[in-house]
This record gives sequence, structure tokens and C-alpha cells, in this order.
Amino acid sequence: MEQAPSDVQSPSTHRVSYPRFLMRAISAATDGSFLFYAWMTGLTAVFLVGVNAWAHQASSGMINTHMTDHVSWGLYIANFTFMVGVAAGGVMMVIPAYLYKDRKMQDVVIIGELLAIAAIVSCLLFVIADLGRPDRFWHMFPGIGRFNFPMSMLTWDVLVLNGYLIINLHVVGYLLYMRFLGRKPNPRWYKPFILLSIVWAVSIHTVTAFLYQGLGGRPFWNSALLAPRFLASAFVSGPAFIILTMIVLRRFGGSRMSDQPMNTLVKIVRVTILINLLMVISELFTEFYAGGAHTSSARYLFFGHGEANALVPWIWSAIVFNIVAAVLFMKPDLVKHTKLLVTACTLAFAGAWIEKGMGLIVPGFIPSTLHEYVEYLPSHLEWRVAAGVVAFGLLVYSASLKVAIPIFRGDMRFEQAPPKETAEK
Amino acid sequence: MERTQCPNGRLSRPLLVLALAGLAPALALLLSACGGDVAPETAPAGQVAASAPTGVHIRTVPGVPTIPAGPIDARGHQARVACSTCHSIKAPDTTRKTGAELTAFHQGLQVAHGSLSCLSCHNEDDYDSLRLADGHRVPFERVMDLCAQCHGPQARDYAHGAHGGMSGYWDTTRGLQTRNQCTHCHAPHAPAYPAMKPTFKPRDRFLPPTRESNDD
Amino acid sequence: MTEKSSGLTRRRMVKGLGATLGAAAFGAALSPLFRSSGMNAAELMQRHYKELTPADKQAVIERLQAEAKEAFGVSISIQDPRPTPQTKFVYAINLSVCNGSGKCVEACHKENNHDRETKQSYIRVLEMPKGTMDMEQGNTTYNHTVPSPDKFYMPVQCQQCDEPPCVDVCPVQATWKEKDGIVVVDYNWCIGCRYCMAACPYHARRFNWKKPYLPAEEINPNQGYLSNRVRPQGVVEKCHFCLHRTREGRLPACLEACPTGARVFGNILDPKSNIRWVLENKRVYVLKEELGTKPSFFYFFDK
Repeated sequence: MEQAPSDVQSPSTHRVSYPRFLMRAISAATDGSFLFYAWMTGLTAVFLVGVNAWAHQASSGMINTHMTDHVSWGLYIANFTFMVGVAAGGVMMVIPAYLYKDRKMQDVVIIGELLAIAAIVSCLLFVIADLGRPDRFWHMFPGIGRFNFPMSMLTWDVLVLNGYLIINLHVVGYLLYMRFLGRKPNPRWYKPFILLSIVWAVSIHTVTAFLYQGLGGRPFWNSALLAPRFLASAFVSGPAFIILTMIVLRRFGGSRMSDQPMNTLVKIVRVTILINLLMVISELFTEFYAGGAHTSSARYLFFGHGEANALVPWIWSAIVFNIVAAVLFMKPDLVKHTKLLVTACTLAFAGAWIEKGMGLIVPGFIPSTLHEYVEYLPSHLEWRVAAGVVAFGLLVYSASLKVAIPIFRGDMRFEQAPPKETAEK
Repeated sequence: MERTQCPNGRLSRPLLVLALAGLAPALALLLSACGGDVAPETAPAGQVAASAPTGVHIRTVPGVPTIPAGPIDARGHQARVACSTCHSIKAPDTTRKTGAELTAFHQGLQVAHGSLSCLSCHNEDDYDSLRLADGHRVPFERVMDLCAQCHGPQARDYAHGAHGGMSGYWDTTRGLQTRNQCTHCHAPHAPAYPAMKPTFKPRDRFLPPTRESNDD
Repeated sequence: MTEKSSGLTRRRMVKGLGATLGAAAFGAALSPLFRSSGMNAAELMQRHYKELTPADKQAVIERLQAEAKEAFGVSISIQDPRPTPQTKFVYAINLSVCNGSGKCVEACHKENNHDRETKQSYIRVLEMPKGTMDMEQGNTTYNHTVPSPDKFYMPVQCQQCDEPPCVDVCPVQATWKEKDGIVVVDYNWCIGCRYCMAACPYHARRFNWKKPYLPAEEINPNQGYLSNRVRPQGVVEKCHFCLHRTREGRLPACLEACPTGARVFGNILDPKSNIRWVLENKRVYVLKEELGTKPSFFYFFDK
């Protein structure tokens, strides 16, 4: 059966093996050491706090956020944007693995895909958290609602994000199931989707950038560099997070991964973080050299405006984080120094997070289109909701890793308990 | 250039139309409008005809001018006296040019209207009508003709609905549009529009109102 | 039973207990959602404005009137006037005359049943130093006697653009431009994503961060379905040129309130209209012309 050339298998066998695969997956996802339980319980608690905060927001209105008519998007959309980047960045494992046929990489590529799934789930939750009328969410469904496609970039984003989620679910599910059955996956069923997912990963972040850069009334966003900058920072934050995951798995999950895939990722970040910095410099040069009213957001962001300077510490932290991380990543044998590597990845990740949120989404609204300086810092409620969404993403990520790793290691296999004959007819 | 060319014919015709159209409702509302502050569109219920009035109504100005005379009585009414009460028997003092120089009955009369003096607009011998620059008499109701002599651009803009407040209907075929005259907004002796205090400001979260205020 | 399988059973029981507790905690966490009343199936399932049949619309309006009666104890009347053929509304403001008193702001607030606590209004007035058109120099929070000798005043509200970026970006077509040029919002279809607020270059859109608070005696009972009816929480709203008035031929509330007569409103398709004369005879300009939004809202100076 292992050497079956194709995946042709009687449907009745799948009828037995697939539910068993799901059962085993659920069981594996909920079994583990004390540490694992503590981690998952903690995440669940944070998630529930977030759910509660969101329920308050949905019932009494978004007045409890610090968003205003002037700064009408805040922490939620900032995190949404950042999470799209993380999801897109996950694909940076796929490119070396399948485009350059890196065998060692193929063993860990699943981590990137699972990260993409968890990040997209968080993205969608962040969008729902940001809606004033979550009960009308169905208005966005094509068919029963009124989908303003292709005019609204938001409809494009809905399509590409859900598409990306489905593609990754398919690839991950298929590869895991085949491994579980102990069969060689049929390239016909995953290769095209992997290639598609590479293109698609670029598209999700490009479309998300288009959401902002297409708005002529917001000069801070209305820049052709926004989409490439988004991609560059995505290819920093995604791989940085995967490196951190791999270190954690090695420490606590008994993973036997070699250094080589991690090294590939470090090489990727080493380049992309510099590209990102270069783009930031180019953007800042344009803003500050030419000057004028269009640069008021950048001036506010970096230097404040009179007494309004809430974002100044954020952006300078991000700049310092990015530069320190970039320098650390230059170290040729960074992989060998776990502590330094963790520091570098954490700084790069945090730097990208600030840059996308407090450094990009929020200053786009300050000054407002009538040039009023109304400041924004997230409220407690917003932090709670955001933490809840991130916790849910981490729950998905942790549980799916908990399933995927034993399957890939070969520890979790389909035992052919029921004889074939009884399964048929 | 274009402005000065703006022909008089084009100006006067709409003015005439406005005046004519305003005449009928003006008469009907003469009583209620004598205070000058009553919005004529809120006509007494009994007067509302089967079809609502349409067209343009120009708010009337109080006809014969009066000034406050003496203290307020027990009922709170200000006793007023028509200018002509005295001026029909007493010749004006033509040596005085401004309100500040006048004493009896004219205290508090602020005059700040360019280089004009009393007799630029008032008839020496008839204080119940106004005097155009060419010496013609016009009733007080036609005060706009008087103002238009100097304020041509404003009169032209007024004729085209681009100067002066209005209320009611933009579509005058469907309802009545009520318009002010010059003296509803501009005190004739001191026509500069009075300063105001902005009393209603939106209350924005995280955008405190300006603290400094140059009045107090 | 072997030891191993009994361990498994115990484990399964613990897991089941955990799952039950988790589900209960989830339900408890969500409980604030169910506190909010006012949610009903008819509202939840209501179709988009353009898909409502006349009968549907009648039913919706009756429901809204009944809800308002229940909430405020006052009888209101909601009309749904449609655009008149051969009519396109255009607005102009004479900045030489505007004195920044903010009477229009207040009139809008009252006419359109805005939230009393935030003193919401569709109009913001900028005080600008003479000699610049740079809004960066402007200020909306001035509270001194107006006009200041070295300042001019510029009220800004929805510009009713012919190329409205807010309409393009709406993911659910909850906002659109009507035949007479007015950009409207279906308050019962908007999902509250606020993308339109990010897209509008004129700060024309407002969001209902909470349920608007209105004392019953201050409600304007003369309401329009697409205009000044009391808005639900969590949706976007904007200036609609008082369409419940203007489509009946009446002037907008902000114009009537203007003490200086700075505002001119009318039908640009009527060659004899006031607004047409202004556009033909004054040197008018629009805000942020370079963005290509083609506003139906003009500004001019006399001198």
C-alpha cells in the first residue's frame, strides 16, 4: 500500500481512516505535558478575557475604545495588517523548500503553513472585532449580501485572505493525512497548490497594502512604496516568528530539527530586514527632504506636533529594534548563538509590529483630513480584545503543531486495525 | 471687470419681481411682522389656504421709524416716539454730523456708516420717508433701493440669492421663500455685521477646546 | 480493564470536564452580548435598501416608527422622499461673509437628531489665518468672539463628490450616490467597518460609537429614512444635504440658520437658480481639487 503510485484508494477506506485521522488529531492536540496544559490553559484564559471584552464592546458600542471620528481605525486594524504580514511571511519556508527543492526544508515547511493558517484566523477575528455591526457580517458574503466587487479593495482582501486560508488548509491537511497514512503524497494534489500559495502569499499582503495606499485623501499611505514595504517587513516578521517557534520546539517539544532550515531562514531575514530598512529610509527621505503639508503625518510620528507626541516613543523604539536586529542578523554564525538569535528575532518581530501599527495605520489618521491633531493610544478594552485574538491564534498554532509534529516524525501513524474486507460493503 | 459690467437691467428686473412677489404676503403679514423678528412662514393656522403660498416673500421692515422715548413702563413696554413727531415741527440741526454730537432723543445712536451723515438718507422735511441721492423720496419699505445706490455688488448678489439670509423653500414653485432685507441684518446707522460668540462647539474626545479666549 | 485503558478513560473524563468548563466560560464571557435588547429578527434579516419592495419599505418604516415611539414616547414620522428628476443639488459658501459663529453646526445638530452628549454635527468650521489656504494652519476649537480680524472661517461638511472615494471603498454597497447628487448611507445595511471614514478626504463621515442619546422633547419628528432618523449604534452617517427637506423643495437647515447669508443652495440644472448664478459669476473653488473627487460643494470670496 505504501508504494501505491497514486492516491487511488477506495472511498470506503477513507471513510474509516479519515475520521480516525481527525480523532487522533483531536486527541493529540489535547494531550501533553503539564507545561503544555499550562500553556494552553493560559491562552484559553486570555482568549476568554478577550471574548468578554469584545462582548462588552459589541453590546455597549465602540465608545469604550479610544478610536474617534478622527482616528477611526486603531489597534485592531493595525494588528490585522501585521497578522497578514505574518501569514504571508510563513510562505518564505515554502519557496526554498519547493521552488529550490530543499529536502531539509520540506520537513519543516509545515510550520510555516500552520503559522499562516493561525495568522489568517487571527486576521479574520481582528476584522470582526473592528466591525461596528458584527451582526451584519453576512452582508459581506457574496450571494446573500451585496459584495462590492471589484470596486472595494476590502472585498478583494476578503477573497484573498479566505482563499489563502483554504489553500493552506488543503495543503497542510493533505500532507498530514498522507503522512498519517504512511503514504507518499501525490505531487498532483499539493504541488500546484504550493506554487499557488506562493503567489497568493504575495497577493494577500499586496492587496492589504492597496487598502491603504489607494486612498488619495491620506497622503501618509498614498505611496507606491507601501506594498513592497509591507512585503519586506512580512518577510522579516514571518520567518523571525518561525525561528522562534523552532527554538521553542527544540527546547520543549523534543523536536529533532537540524540547524539547516533555521539557517536558511536567518539568511532570508538577514536580507529582507535590510531591504525593509532601505525602503523606510527612502520613504523618510521623500517625506523630510521635500517637506510640505503632505509630510505632516511623518513629522508628527517622528517628532510630535506641539504637545501631541504620543507616537514618538513607539516609532523610535521600532527604528532602534530594527537597526539592532539588522546588525545582529549580520553575524554569520547567529544560529549557533541561541540567545542572540532569540533577541534578534524578538526585536525584528516587535519592530515590524510597531512599524505596521503605531507607525503606519495610526499616523495615517493624524493629522486628520482637516489637519486636526487628535491623538490615539489604545484603550484597555482594545488591548484585552487584541490579546484575546492573538491568544486564539496561538491556540490554533500550538494545537496544530502538536498534531503535525508527531505525524511528521512518524510517531503518529494510521494502524490498519479494521481489516479491509469488513470496511468494504 | 465683469462685475462692473453686470448690467443694471439684469439687476433691477429680478428685484422688481422679488418686490412684486413679496407684496401680497407682505400685506397679509404686516401685523405679525411689525416686530421684524417673526418668521413669516409660520403664518397663523387660520390663514393657511388650501394651497400653500409659493414664490419669494421679502420680510417687511417696520414702516415709520421710531426711537425709544423715556423709561420703560410698568408693563415692561418701551415707550417709543416716531421721529416725525418732533421733526415735523423742529428743523434738524444740520451742523451736527454724527450721533455722538446729538443730545436729546439721540443718545446711544451709534453712527458708523462711512462718511454719511443724517441727511444723506433722511429728508430734512419728512422723516417718514427716505431720501435717495437724487433727492427722490422713497418709503421706508424700499430701503433696499436706498442701500443699493452705494452697495451695488451686494444688491446684485442679493438679486441672485447670493447675499442675505433666507428661509423656506429653495424651489419657489413648491413653497414660499422668505428673504431678509438689508436692515434685517445691518443696522442702518452702523451697518457692520455685529461680532458674535460661537456658542455651539462639538465636544470631541481627545481634542480639548482652545483655552485662550480673547474676550474674557 | 487494564491499567492503561483506565488511565485513558480518566484522561478522557478530565478532557471532557475541561471542554465543558471551557464552553461554559465561553458562554459566560459572551453574556454581555445578550444584555443588549433592541435586537430583533426583522432588523437582523432586513435586506438592502435597493432590494426593498414598496411594501417592505412600508413595513420597515412602520417598525422604525413603532420602535421610536417605544424608545422615546414621541410620535415621529419617517418619510422616504426620492430624488426629483432634473435636479442636482449644489452648495456654495461665501467665505467673505461667513463669520464662524457656528450657527450652522448647531442647526445641523438639532435638525439631524445628533447625539446630545458629543454635540455631534456634520459640519466643522475651520478658523484660518488670512493669506493661506493650508488647512494645517486651521483650527476648529476656537471659542473667542468672531470674526477675528485676521482670520477667515471655512465650514466643511460632506462635499457630495461626483467621484466619491467613500462609495468606492464600501465593501457592502451600504453607501451610494443618488440621482440628485446626494451620497446616502443605508443605516440598516452598514456593517460599521469605517473604511469610508478612512477614504473620505473631507472628514465628512461620522461613526456612532454608541447609541445616540436624545431627550424625547428634543427629537425632530420630521425624519427621513436615508437622512435624519435616529441612527442605530455602530453605523456610519454623514451629511445628506437635509434630503428630507431639500427633496420637498425646502432649504437645508444649515442654510436657514446662517446668520450672515453666506450659504447658497440650489439645483444646478436650473439655469435660473441662485447657485447657477454663483457658479457662473463668482470665482469659486473646491477643496482638495487635486484628489479628483469632483465635489458638488463650492467656496468663494467676494473680496
